[in-house]
Amino acid sequence: MAAAVVKDSGFEALEKLKSTEPPVFLAPSSISEVARVASQYLFAKLKPHDPKSPFDELLVDGFDAEQIWQQIDMQSQPLLSSLRCEVKRFAKNPREVRKTENLAHGDSHEDDVDEMDMDGLDLDDDNADEDDDAELEANESEGEEEEEDGEEEEDEEDDEEENEGIEDKFFKIKDLEDFLEEGEAQEYGIDRKTKKAMPKVKKQNFSDDDEDEEDDEDDEEDEDGEFGAFDGEDNEESDKLGKARYEDFFGGKKKETKMKMKHVIDDEEAGNGNQGNENLSTHEKELLKLQSKIDQMEKANLDPKHWTMQGEVTATKRPKNSALEVDLDFEHNARPPPVITEEVTASLEDMIKSRIIEARFDDVQRAPSLPTKSKREAKELDDNKSKKGLAEVYEEEYVQKSNPSFAPATFSDELKKEASMLFKKLCLKLDALSHFHFTPKPVIEEMSIQTNVPAIAMEEVAPVAVSDAAMLAPEEIFSGTGKIKDESELTQEERKRRRATKKRKFRAESAKQPVKKARDTTTSTEMSKNGNE
Amino acid sequence: MADSTQMEVETATKPAAPLPTKPIFKPLKAHEMSDGKVQFRKIPVPPNRYTPLKKAWLDIYTPVYDQMKVDIRMNLKARKVELKTRHDTPDVSNLQKSADFVHAFMLGFDIPDAVALLRMDELYVESFEIKDVKTLKGEHLSRAIGRLSGKGGKTKFAIENSTKTRIVIADTRIHILGAFTNIKVARSSLCSLIMGSPAGKVYSKLRNVSARLAE
Repeated sequence: MAAAVVKDSGFEALEKLKSTEPPVFLAPSSISEVARVASQYLFAKLKPHDPKSPFDELLVDGFDAEQIWQQIDMQSQPLLSSLRCEVKRFAKNPREVRKTENLAHGDSHEDDVDEMDMDGLDLDDDNADEDDDAELEANESEGEEEEEDGEEEEDEEDDEEENEGIEDKFFKIKDLEDFLEEGEAQEYGIDRKTKKAMPKVKKQNFSDDDEDEEDDEDDEEDEDGEFGAFDGEDNEESDKLGKARYEDFFGGKKKETKMKMKHVIDDEEAGNGNQGNENLSTHEKELLKLQSKIDQMEKANLDPKHWTMQGEVTATKRPKNSALEVDLDFEHNARPPPVITEEVTASLEDMIKSRIIEARFDDVQRAPSLPTKSKREAKELDDNKSKKGLAEVYEEEYVQKSNPSFAPATFSDELKKEASMLFKKLCLKLDALSHFHFTPKPVIEEMSIQTNVPAIAMEEVAPVAVSDAAMLAPEEIFSGTGKIKDESELTQEERKRRRATKKRKFRAESAKQPVKKARDTTTSTEMSKNGNE
Repeated sequence: MADSTQMEVETATKPAAPLPTKPIFKPLKAHEMSDGKVQFRKIPVPPNRYTPLKKAWLDIYTPVYDQMKVDIRMNLKARKVELKTRHDTPDVSNLQKSADFVHAFMLGFDIPDAVALLRMDELYVESFEIKDVKTLKGEHLSRAIGRLSGKGGKTKFAIENSTKTRIVIADTRIHILGAFTNIKVARSSLCSLIMGSPAGKVYSKLRNVSARLAE
C-alpha cells in the first residue's frame, strides 16, 4: 500500500517536475520536496532490477543531497553497465527489441521502462539537478542489463541456427561446450556458476569507471565484455600457479568460441548490411576484399604520414621519445670495439711470448737531444790585478778588431796551440816507431799570411813538418809566363820592343811628377797672394 | 742735374773676372783658435798624491810634452800642475786630454791606466760617493767598503777585469775610469755591493754581462 501510494505520488511528482520551468531548479524552493518524492518513486521502480542494492527504498527524510545521491549511486552503478550492454545489442540488431518484449520481465516493467526511457530522455536536458542524472543513469543501467540478458539468449539461439549442419540428435555443440566447461571447472576447482557471475561483476566494475562517457557506449561494452572474460581467466591462472594451459597462450576455448560467434555475427551483419544476400560468390567476395584494401590504402595516403616517413625530422616534429621506439640505423665512423674471445686472448699471449723470447720490446727510447753548440770560450773572472794597463787592454782590443792577423794570440789560444803542437810531435814519433810503412809528416794547412822572407828570419810558429820553401805558392815566388829568354837569346825585334815599353813607362811616370810639382807651386803662390791681401 | 738723373750704366766691355779658386785652409792650431792666445789648465794636487806625483813625474811629463805637445809644469808653491798650449799643439782637444790625464792621476789612477785617456777619446771618469747610494754610518760604512774591495781587492779586480774599467775606492769616494757602457756596468755592480748583495751574486752577474760586452 505504501508502495502504491508512493507510486502514485511519485508519478505525480515526476509529472510536476516535467512541467516546471528549468530556471526554477536553480533556486532553492519547494520543488525539492517534489524531486525527492519523484526520486523515491524511481528508486522503488528500479529496485527489482538490482538485487544487490542494500536499500529497500530511498531514504530521503532528514538526509541531505549528498546522502540521497549516494544511495541512488549505489543502486544505479550496476544497472548502468547492464543497460549499456542492452543498448549496444539493440543498436546492432534492431529486431532483438521485439524479442526482449517477450521476455519474462512483465508488461508493467516494459511500460515502466518505456516511461522511464522517455523521462530519462526528457530530463536529459536538465543538468542542474543531480537527481535527474541519477535517473538517467538508472535507466541506462536497466537498459544494459536487459541487453546483456538478451545477448546471451541470442548467442544461444545463434548457436542453434549456425550449427544446423553439424549438429544432429547425437551431437550438439552447446552440449560439447557445457561438457568442456564442466571439465575445466573440475580441474580448477571453481564452480561453473560462480565463474559466470564473476565476468558480470568484472564487467560492472569496469563499466563503473567509464560511467560518465555516454558516447562510447558500444565500444566500452565490448571491451568490458572481453576484459571481463580475460579477468575470469586471469583469476583462474593466478590461483593455480604453474599449471600453464593451452588457454593461457591461445585464449580460452570458451572465449574463442564467443569471439568467433561475435565475428560470425559481425560478418553476417556486414553482409546483410551491404548486399542483403547471405551467400556471396567468390568473385564478389574477392571484390569486397579488394575494395576494402583499396579503401585502406586510400585512407593511408590521405592521412598524414608517420613521422618516420617524413624525411628530415627534427625533435620538435616528432612525438616525445618516439625515436626510442623506432629501430634507427646510424653510420658508425668508429670501428666497433673488438670482441674479446678466447682466440683473441690466445693470439695476444702467443705474440707476447714470442716477443719475450726474441727480446724485441718496443721500449720507448729517449729522443736524442740536439747537439748543442759548443760553448764559447767563457772568460773566467780574473780576481787578480790585471798586469796590463787599461790603455793596453783597449789597444789589444782595437788591434784584434782591425787586423786579426797581427793580433797576438790570447793567452788561452797560446796555451792551446802549444798543447796541440806537443801532441802532434808525440804522435809523429809514435807513428814512426809503430808503423811498418813510414808515413811522412802531415802537411798542416794554416791560414796565415806568408811573407817572402827567408825561413831563418821568420819566428812564427810553423808546423815542423813543412819546409818554409814550400809555404809560398809558386805564383808568389815568380809571376810571369814560362817563356823566359836570356839577354843573349833575344832577337832584334824583341830588343826593340823591350826598349819601347821601357821608354813608355818612364815617360808616363815622369809625366805625372812634374804635374804634381806644378800644382803645389801654384797653390802656394796663390795662398801667399791671398795672405798678403 | 740732367746727368745725375740718368742712371750711369757701365758697359760691360771686358768679361767678368773669373771667380777665385776655392781656398783650402789647413786646420787651425790650438794656438790660433783662441786668437793666438795661450790656453791654460791648472790641476790641484791633493796632499796624498804629492809623493806619487814626484815619483811618477817623468812618466806624466813625457807623453804630455812629447805626444800631446802641451807644456806642463808643476807649481810647487800653489801645489798645482799647470798645462799650457804651445804654438804647435796640433789639436784643440790635446790640452783637455792632458788635463784629464793629470786629473785622473790625481784621483788615484795609475799611469798606464790614465794614459788610456790620452790615447782614446771615448774614455771618461765617473765619481760618486757611497752615501749617494745608501746612507750608511759607522760600522756599516766600513763593512760596505770592505765588501766593495773584497779580500785582497779581488772583488774590485774582478769587476775591473770583466768590465775593462779601472776603479779607485778612496774611503767613501769611488772613481771609475773607462768607456761609457763599461762604466755603467761597473757602477751597477758596485751599487749592488753597497746595497748589500753578496760577492758571489755580483760575480755571476758580471759573468753574464762581460760575455755580452765582449761581443
